[in-house]
Amino acid sequence: MKHLKLIIIPVVATIFAITISCERDDICPESSPTTPSLIIDLLDFENSENLKNAPRLLVIGTIEGNKVALPGYEGNSQQSSLILPLKTDEDSTSFELVQNAEFDSENNLIGGNIDLINITYTREEIYVSRACGYKTIFKDVIIDIVDDSSNWLLGEPEDLTNNEPVENENATHFNLFH
Amino acid sequence: MKMQHILTYFISITFIVLFSTSVQAQNDSIVNVADSLKIKQKYGLRISGDIGKIARSFLDDDYTGFEIAADFRLKKDFYIAGEIGFEEKQTTNEYLDVTTNGSYLKAGIDLNMYDNWLDMDNMIYAGFRVGASSFTHDRNSFTVYNTDQFWAPQFASAEATEFSGLTAFWGEFILGMKVELFNNLYMGLNVQLKVLASETEPDNFENLYIPGYGRTYDSTSIGTSYGYTLGYRLPLYKKNK
Repeated sequence: MKHLKLIIIPVVATIFAITISCERDDICPESSPTTPSLIIDLLDFENSENLKNAPRLLVIGTIEGNKVALPGYEGNSQQSSLILPLKTDEDSTSFELVQNAEFDSENNLIGGNIDLINITYTREEIYVSRACGYKTIFKDVIIDIVDDSSNWLLGEPEDLTNNEPVENENATHFNLFH
Repeated sequence: MKMQHILTYFISITFIVLFSTSVQAQNDSIVNVADSLKIKQKYGLRISGDIGKIARSFLDDDYTGFEIAADFRLKKDFYIAGEIGFEEKQTTNEYLDVTTNGSYLKAGIDLNMYDNWLDMDNMIYAGFRVGASSFTHDRNSFTVYNTDQFWAPQFASAEATEFSGLTAFWGEFILGMKVELFNNLYMGLNVQLKVLASETEPDNFENLYIPGYGRTYDSTSIGTSYGYTLGYRLPLYKKNK
């Protein structure tokens, strides 16, 4: 019995020390699902089963009056799918999608077919964890292609969300045709 | 008989008688001393305040709290004990700012494992408590977490939201010591290992901090804490040890 009392104190002290030192939940891990971006596949209008590359695809967002290229879609490569971040402090986000983008020596856009899309939705904030805080999920997402005289995006966007909110990046949310 | 043998015999007998008599005398005196010494232990109600929490209230801007503990001696090494306290703690990080405030109650037993000499009244004890807390969270602000920062800044909430009527229950194992500094004045130090039994989950949020329990952890329901107390015993009666 005397030995039991001597063992209890170091055992409890060890548990105490381990508990206060291992604070893994102060870091938001990459694997934690947080606010999703919208995933769009670009499909062939004539053969709507196949992905079709859009050459020299440039995606532009307007930030405080300035036109900024979305990283990863800067007009120097062909892409067949888009990952578009949505604004979490407004209920709509607009992007200009440019095909066959051409630049001058000062990186100004001088050529290419520009199509404007407006994405509207309603937002809900959901708690994730102590380290990550809250994420936004997007409900009732609608993509509208603004008509101009020469759209390269053809037809209507196909909604794959099945009336579910956009809350993760596991599957494609929309298809666009060209 | 020969004269030499008689002398040897006589001297041996004398020595034997002398030694046995003296041994007998020593035995008698030891027994007498033990019988006359009686040691009394104090029994009564001891009230302590947690001065560790008071110090933390001054040093830590995010924390205000106080705890009063009481224990009552039932037997020589067996005490019933309880604590009551209140705490207000602000938890902030880059994405959340929450203020938790509430009160708590703990009740249980302490067992003294230390053998006091004479009439000293110190304790090295192990104890168990059951704790309950009632508290409120004020979520002052939060910012949405987004790995893609193209459209910065992300949404940040403007109004404070209150989550009230929350409760939690836990069990606690305490290890500590109490030392008598002056007459009836005791200083105590203890560490606590807690296991959370149940908590009410606020809607679309979680309990980041529970008064009396401490901060909660995502991966485990174990929590820890410590106490540093100063107390006074109101002596009611004395009992033989």
